[in-house]
Amino acid sequence: MRNNLPALGFGLGLRTEHYNAILDTKPQVDWFEALSENYMIPGGLPLNFLDRIRADYPVVMHGVSLSIGSTEPFDLTYLKDLKKLADRIQPAWISDHLCWTGIHGQNIHDLLPLPYTEETAKHVAERVKIVQDYLGRQILLENVSSYASYVDSNMSEWEFISLICEQADCLLLLDVNNIYVSSYNHQFDAKAFIDGIPQQRVQQIHLAGHQNNGDYIIDTHDAPIIDPVWELYGYAISKIGDVSTMIERDDNIPELDVLVQELQIARDLSANVLRAAA
Amino acid sequence: MTQLAKLQADFQAYLLDDVKSSSFIKAMIDDNKVGAKKRLSIYHDAYRLRIIEALATAYPQLKALLGDVLFNKIAREYITAYPSTYRNLRWYGSEMREYLLTTLAQHPVAAEMADFESALSLAFDAEDVPELSLQELSAIPPENWDALSFKFQPAIKFVRTRWNTIPIWQALEVEEMPPKPAQESTYQSWLIWRKNFNSQFRLTTEMEVIALNMAVMGATFGEICANLEVEMDEEQAMATAAQYLAGWLENGLICKVTLIKFAS
Repeated sequence: MRNNLPALGFGLGLRTEHYNAILDTKPQVDWFEALSENYMIPGGLPLNFLDRIRADYPVVMHGVSLSIGSTEPFDLTYLKDLKKLADRIQPAWISDHLCWTGIHGQNIHDLLPLPYTEETAKHVAERVKIVQDYLGRQILLENVSSYASYVDSNMSEWEFISLICEQADCLLLLDVNNIYVSSYNHQFDAKAFIDGIPQQRVQQIHLAGHQNNGDYIIDTHDAPIIDPVWELYGYAISKIGDVSTMIERDDNIPELDVLVQELQIARDLSANVLRAAA
Repeated sequence: MTQLAKLQADFQAYLLDDVKSSSFIKAMIDDNKVGAKKRLSIYHDAYRLRIIEALATAYPQLKALLGDVLFNKIAREYITAYPSTYRNLRWYGSEMREYLLTTLAQHPVAAEMADFESALSLAFDAEDVPELSLQELSAIPPENWDALSFKFQPAIKFVRTRWNTIPIWQALEVEEMPPKPAQESTYQSWLIWRKNFNSQFRLTTEMEVIALNMAVMGATFGEICANLEVEMDEEQAMATAAQYLAGWLENGLICKVTLIKFAS
């Protein structure tokens, strides 16, 4: 099912380094994605910046610690604080990653992969439903970059994602760079991934750069997007249609202008693909 | 325990163990491209690198004080002693003072600096509250002052030092050569708070610490004066309390004033 969420256009990840430039120059960025945990704090400067930027731009919330695939009960304080932030910011939507981040009350601060099995899909879907009920809205799950895969897995990642979406009726944040990274690391066909997911559920696309170490790639978000990822993005747009797209940069962060220019590549590419398809 | 729960418990145990154990490797696909051992190492190494980086961000001058080699060694040991229970890495490392008290007991400035940097960081994120203005306070008739109670911003904290830790921190902060570690003649109390979204600090006398702690607990202006009278005469006590109050107001520490009505 296609949801009734808005199409936001082309956005950027909101980073501390750009706060002042955003407020001072009001750049041609359609929306920003805020990292939820960075603002799930009592108060202070970051929240103040977020409030002011929110006054000028649509914002979506993107979390890293929901741990939707964990086998432990949810951290209720986390959910409460997430909802509190959502009430304050009124994001267009809320997303997190299809992964687990720790058990026994501990946080590994990494997006750890899940085994692709029916049992796991069912487990995740049940938890997605709990979160969606609590937040009173559909959430978006993002495919992660992975470096290892489990002997236990008995289906493809896209089959696994499809099962969860179907059972939980949730949406997708398609990270095109992560598809590229994982397809390189695990030697699968990246286009088959895009073909295999429920495309009508893709609400947002992530683009980013990475670090190629020769025999494997690490998802570092510290460099410009490479051509094969742009090509894969074009393929995704040709299959999915117009989707809210953004660039993530978390390290080696350049001036805001540089990212605004990189975002223009996404705008042009998407427009060209959509025009060709029309 | 379900299969998934066991898998997660084993994976986490592998990640948290400083030594890369080999038994978990069997759960991972081993291929000619990279190999299971190497693949798992990516997660094992990333966990430590990410947390060491977070600790370096949280404790920049502690790192400058200890130097990269010692700081990284301490950070690595700390990770094993205190697995993160925080949803945000920003808060990780709050037990650093306690950890350094035992592991670097011979270098007491380190624990004090960790305490100081942690307090600055917590003040930065503390809850936003309005700031009481001088006009609001001036509007209260003098005869009511004895019964005034104050509410303070939640960022307030005291850090106590026995060493010249703060002068060392200040020098490191501006990348100057810090003074040699030296023990002060007495403990010093540093008040930490937030003003204009930035963490602030200043040295305070023990008498002001007591007065401010009383005020934070809800004591009235009259009670604070009465307490000061143990050390000085009534007039001096009143003047001193008024001087403290003016300072707290100027620092933006007070968010609300209430007139306490005593039962007669």
